[in-house]
Amino acid sequence: MPELHLVVKDPSGLHARPAARFVQAATRFESRIVIRQGDREADAKSLIALLGLTIRPSSEIVLAADGPDSEAAITALAAELAPYLGTPT
Amino acid sequence: MVGLVLISHSGTLVEGLRDMVAQVAGDDVAVGIAGGTEDGRLGTSAPLIAAALRSTLAASDGGVLVLLDLGSAALSLELALEDFEPPDRERIQVTEAPLVEGAILAAVQASVGASLAEVAASAEGAGSMAKLPRS
Repeated sequence: MPELHLVVKDPSGLHARPAARFVQAATRFESRIVIRQGDREADAKSLIALLGLTIRPSSEIVLAADGPDSEAAITALAAELAPYLGTPT
Repeated sequence: MVGLVLISHSGTLVEGLRDMVAQVAGDDVAVGIAGGTEDGRLGTSAPLIAAALRSTLAASDGGVLVLLDLGSAALSLELALEDFEPPDRERIQVTEAPLVEGAILAAVQASVGASLAEVAASAEGAGSMAKLPRS
């Protein structure tokens, strides 16, 4: 199951607009896609779940996908969300 | 795609909410608003609601989800709905969901091409959505 560790770059954290972009992008894939922060996990296709994580700026999150198009999903989501999320340096 | 009709006692409130919805969910989801009375006071108006329903139905092939601010808007909505006969009436669903959170969640769900039932379920989830960060 491919996963990617990311740091939230957006100074507002993962707020409504990028979270909505995330859901819209994730829904295009068949795989189960999740965002994990610490021991909590949210379905990336559910805006309620994502906003419920209340992800703060500069926090580390893990983007993970499981399914037939999981590699493509991770690549596409990382590219789409690059303005908000960066890879840890 | 499913469209939304937002009903409030205040025109200003639903105009602002429509802007928020467009920012978050994008411009593909049709959003009709009916806020205030015909003479610009606070309140609700059956003809304004009916007009918003009609235009949003015309722009939304997947049906329309209706959200209200307060229960008293439901009386004007009931009157407005009397204008609609099947099959149009069957393409309109009304939800108990809270107006602001429900509209945002419903619009994002609609924007990914979800059905009216899925959009309504998403809006209803807003009632139990956490807002304050969990420590």
